[in-house]
Amino acid sequence: MPGLPMLPETAPFPAEQITALNRIMSATNAEQRTWLSGFLSGYQAANAPQPAAAAAPARRAPLTILFATESGNAESLADVARKAASKLGFAARVLDMADATPAQVAAAQNLLVIASTWGEGDPPQRAIDFHAALMAEDAPRFDGVRYAVLALGDRAYAKFCETGRLFDERFAALGGTRVADRIECDLDYDVAANAWLGGTLTQLQAGLGEPDAGAAVIHVDFARAPLEASAYNRTRPFEAEITERIKLSGSRSTSETWHVEVSLAGSGIVYEPGDSLGFLPSNDPALVDAVLMATGLSGDAALRAALSERFDITTLTRKQVADYARLIGDASLAEDVAFADGRQVIDLLSAAPHGLSAEQLTSLLRPLPPRYYSVASSLKTVPDEAHLLVAAVRYETHGRARSGVASVDLADRRNAGERLKVFVKPNLHFRLPTDPQRPIIMIGPGTGVAPFRAFMQERDAVGARGKSWLVFGHRHYTHDFLYQLEWQDLLKRGVLSRLDVAFSRDQPEKRYVQHALWDARRDLHAWVQDGAVIYVCGDANAMAKDVHATLQRIVGDQALDALRREGRYLRDVY
Amino acid sequence: MDRSLPPSPNEAIKANSRYLRGTIADGLTRVETGALSDDDQQLTKFHGIYLQDDRDLRAERGRKKMEKAFSFMARLRVPGGVLTPAQWLAAETIARERGNGTLRLTTRQTIQFHGIIKSNLRLAISGLNDAMLDTIAACGDVNRNVIATANPWESRGHAEVAALAQAIGTHLLPKSRAWHEIWIDGEQHTGGEEEDEPIYGRTYMPRKFKIAVALPPHNDVDVFAHDLGFIAIREGDRVAGYNVVVGGGMGMTHGEPDTFPRTGDVIGFCRPDQVVDIAEKVVTIQRDSGNRSDRKHARLKYTIERIGLPAFCMELERRLGYSLSPAQDFAFTDNGDRLGWAHGDDGALHYTLFVENGRVRDLPDRQLLSGLHAIAELGVGRFIITANQNLVIADITPQQKRAVGELLRAHGIDAPVSGLRRNSIACVALPTCGLALAESERYLPSLVARLEDQLEQLGLAQDDITIRMTGCPNGCARPYLAEIALVGRAPGLYHLYLGGAFNGTRLNKLYRKDVDGDAIIAALSPLLREYAGQRRDGERFGDYAIRAGHVRPTTAGNTFHDDLAPELRS
Ligand code: SRM
Ligand SMILES: Cc1cc2nc3c(=O)[nH]c(=O)nc-3n(C[C@H](O)[C@H](O)[C@H](O)COP(=O)(O)OP(=O)(O)OC[C@H]3O[C@@H](n4cnc5c(N)ncnc54)[C@H](O)[C@@H]3O)c2cc1C
Ligand SMILES: Cc1cc2nc3c(=O)[nH]c(=O)nc-3n(C[C@H](O)[C@H](O)[C@H](O)COP(=O)(O)O)c2cc1C
Ligand code: SF4
Repeated sequence: MPGLPMLPETAPFPAEQITALNRIMSATNAEQRTWLSGFLSGYQAANAPQPAAAAAPARRAPLTILFATESGNAESLADVARKAASKLGFAARVLDMADATPAQVAAAQNLLVIASTWGEGDPPQRAIDFHAALMAEDAPRFDGVRYAVLALGDRAYAKFCETGRLFDERFAALGGTRVADRIECDLDYDVAANAWLGGTLTQLQAGLGEPDAGAAVIHVDFARAPLEASAYNRTRPFEAEITERIKLSGSRSTSETWHVEVSLAGSGIVYEPGDSLGFLPSNDPALVDAVLMATGLSGDAALRAALSERFDITTLTRKQVADYARLIGDASLAEDVAFADGRQVIDLLSAAPHGLSAEQLTSLLRPLPPRYYSVASSLKTVPDEAHLLVAAVRYETHGRARSGVASVDLADRRNAGERLKVFVKPNLHFRLPTDPQRPIIMIGPGTGVAPFRAFMQERDAVGARGKSWLVFGHRHYTHDFLYQLEWQDLLKRGVLSRLDVAFSRDQPEKRYVQHALWDARRDLHAWVQDGAVIYVCGDANAMAKDVHATLQRIVGDQALDALRREGRYLRDVY
Repeated sequence: MDRSLPPSPNEAIKANSRYLRGTIADGLTRVETGALSDDDQQLTKFHGIYLQDDRDLRAERGRKKMEKAFSFMARLRVPGGVLTPAQWLAAETIARERGNGTLRLTTRQTIQFHGIIKSNLRLAISGLNDAMLDTIAACGDVNRNVIATANPWESRGHAEVAALAQAIGTHLLPKSRAWHEIWIDGEQHTGGEEEDEPIYGRTYMPRKFKIAVALPPHNDVDVFAHDLGFIAIREGDRVAGYNVVVGGGMGMTHGEPDTFPRTGDVIGFCRPDQVVDIAEKVVTIQRDSGNRSDRKHARLKYTIERIGLPAFCMELERRLGYSLSPAQDFAFTDNGDRLGWAHGDDGALHYTLFVENGRVRDLPDRQLLSGLHAIAELGVGRFIITANQNLVIADITPQQKRAVGELLRAHGIDAPVSGLRRNSIACVALPTCGLALAESERYLPSLVARLEDQLEQLGLAQDDITIRMTGCPNGCARPYLAEIALVGRAPGLYHLYLGGAFNGTRLNKLYRKDVDGDAIIAALSPLLREYAGQRRDGERFGDYAIRAGHVRPTTAGNTFHDDLAPELRS
């Protein structure tokens, strides 16, 4: 009977049964068919193995978990979401925006998006293509796609969770159906994110109506390597002893960079070159006192402890200004939330001093986020050790001398023998090529050179033959040439094949790594032809942008994009 | 020379250098180190360039995983010390942009740049070249910058000696194009083989060679301290000819009595047109018979001590093909500079500026760098560096005088200084000099200040007394010709010498060993007190020290270490 659905040849029955079933089906009416499907699903439920299907819907609904990440947070959350979703019986698959196109995603029924924001409100670099395609005129429609967005960010930035917001709005504009309100997470996202995921998944599930017959059930499960490299994490850090602490910058240097070695002995912690170490700093005691003083809470010892270890008492956001204004009933301050820009908590408290209770104060503050430092060593060369390269952040704004919480904690207040709270922050997207023969170009001025010291130690230890080229830069050759003697040794032994440098303040005309790259453009081109992987690490604001522009000029825009997609143009910038 | 001994390593380096090229050009491209290979370090000297390191920083470097704080010193070649204002400005720019921001006037009338790191070196040298300046043969085993009395107020005489210094320098310049190839064209020529050094040959001199021209009555160049010297003899206002002086030199080594400073011997008189020829022949004698095995005995002074003066003179006349006439009478009054304004015999004005230890830099109260910059921008005549590390701003027109005077005052650089200070010289020493055993340039000013209090009380504040300090016995400040000399032995410790002649004709003598600052003051104050009370009319401190028997006079270099007080003999 034409028009009626027939079992396809591909159906899991022998040919004669397919003909038989088709014969019966063709003879049924709608009512009989509905009964039949109901009967069959009941039959299924009854005989299905426990417990999986117990809670499960009639059949496993497909769920696409799409993440956009730079430093891995969104990725690990995606993994958490996948596990939860599978428990709920979803057929969940995790998709990295780097490998996805809007067209693919538009085909999904249920979509969970986890995206972080970088730069000054930019998408993570590996999500740039997807982002561009999605924002383009000819972006595919998302009609019928049921979605929800989890945005990761940092309130310290003006464009908080910008990327997540843009995705959310765009999916809606393209016809998608928002099943849950977007959540915007600050650096302390764990609890909030998990709660939101649970709720959103159940909503997605509940909303699952009558399955439309045509829907293909995808039973893919992209199980991935667990991201936490060890039992230790930001909530449960390892107390690593400082075994060495050296100020590398010369005594006449205008900058201040420290080499810090910590022992991981007994922790079982493993890291790969390219990973970072998370560090939970303590606040400057003087600043803690100032805050306590300004709020009339100097007496409170417990609070002092909490402020120095657990709360962010430097970062000031517009939201905090508004909250504080409301708290102390200061209308004019409420008007002036822009006060936050370039200022810190202590500026706010001393601009409008007001007695507070401990609760009022802590409710104003966000948790103290960990800081990350690229590991500058390889376990193959220094077992049980991790080396860090830390630039002390010191500057002045609004007439106050400021010092970076973590970097100055390490520079001024931590001595050899003391212990640091650390955990590994893997970076799967900043790794040495698996092929030891493959040439690598490492562009790392300032502390950006840290992971490349790890790369070189690793390649040295495993006897990798691939050519390696380091481009280093800083202010003064004489006072800021970090690890100079080590590079000399690596060059002598052929582990490092080439070194180029750019010191900006040695001559009247400023010279930066991008100038060194441009001077060496012919060779750089040749190396890329030979299959070299280009790594960039260090300052995100100026350096990474200028280097990017220069690389575009040298290899060409498309070519560079292609390299990025091939995983041959990797960046770890901050 | 003793042929049995093997030649010093430097001889092979020179011979294999393809006329001073070595692998310098390649070394400059190695960015991982601020240094050059050991052999190339010897060769760059011939290009006027020394590799040094900041000795103040040595202690911290290794721990910071950095090599020594290397940088280069570059030394100009400025025959007679004469620069145009434009050249001065160019030099100043190089110092600011490529060096450590200071200019260092030297005891051989030129400028040294310190703290030029490798990446700036070529730019610095080519920048100088653009200003018609070069560093060729400013160091190394060749004839060095030829110096000449800086007294432009005797316009004719000065013009002649300056021109002569120029002529000698040019004639004895190495012919190799290596300097231009390496520092200017930037090309790396494999060549050089086809080149030739008609005067020097491929191994150049056994050691450095130095020439000075003096115009009596001033002996500002210390004409007796050099391998070769010429003393102008005048008839009326024209130079009739020159007395020839050979075998002078200062350097010695502590604890090695067979090394000693030596005042040159006057061996005769020649016509002006014979000078260049004589210079060439003296150079070739030393080229052929100088000691090439032991660099500590490789100067002409030791050759003459070895073969004897008569034999040397015979060989010279043999090579010249004529003999010198008998030396003529001359008299020197002093070996210092006359500071302040001087009226030239041609109506022009000249200002001799005191530059303490030759270091041109801006201090809060004395803005030498800026002051001279401003004056140079007026386009005033010439800048003449003196052999006492001072600077003559020469050929100032009467109209310009006020402007110059005001700039000097405005920058606080015309303040009068004591007689001792204006006759003081200190070598560079720490932190840049690799051979320094003790401080010098950074220490003498404060030591003089301590003595000045004394001199003030004794009424000697304005008496000219020469005092010279060096950080080691090499004698870069010509200490052994000073009335008071302090020669570095170890950090904070010096040998104290007395009895040099005020006009640079007599070497001094060791008076105290290994004395520190306090001991120096303690040793000198009683002498100065005596001198103030007992000196005869116009008697100089150096002469008094001898008359009073504090030290014996040194009559010849080879007796420099003799006639010491018993406790000093060792
Ligand atoms: C800059 C200057 C002293 C100053 O304060 O003005 C100087 C500085 C140095 N002299 Fe000198 N000499 C300087 C005039 C002299 C003089 C005085 C003179 O030439 O009128 C002498 C004594 C005369 C003589 O040569 O006997 C002198 C005798 C030496 C010696 C010992 C030479 C010898 O044969 O005894 C050395 C060491 C050596 O050559 O091995 C030396 C070596 C040096 C070096 C290059 C150290 C080295 O070889 O590594 C010093 C560089 C220090 C620095 O950081 O700048 N310098 N040196 C003078 C530069 C002259 C120029 O422009 O060419
Ligand atoms: C993956 C990753 C790897 C990293 N690796 C390294 C590394 O190897 N070495 C390293 O040193 N750092 C590294 N960082 C940076 C490091 O994590 C910290 O951000 C840095 O040390 C500053 O932290 P802090 O607590 O000392 O300063 P904070 O207290 O966090 O202060 C930093 C903030 O101060 C403000 N600020 C800084 N300078 C100025 C100024 N001149 N004027 C005005 N405002 C200013 C900015 O808002 C800045 O965000 C890395 C970061 C990431 C994300
Ligand atoms: C260099 C840098 C720039 C950042 N810029 C922003 C920003 O503009 N807005 C924001 O909300 N968060 C910003 N963040 C915070 C990140 O979004 C936040 O750390 C997030 O957890 C990273 O997630 P990921 O590891 O998945 O990339 C920035 C972080 C870094 C290190
Ligand atoms: S005298 Fe010695 S210390 Fe002074 S500059 Fe000459 S070599 Fe150096």
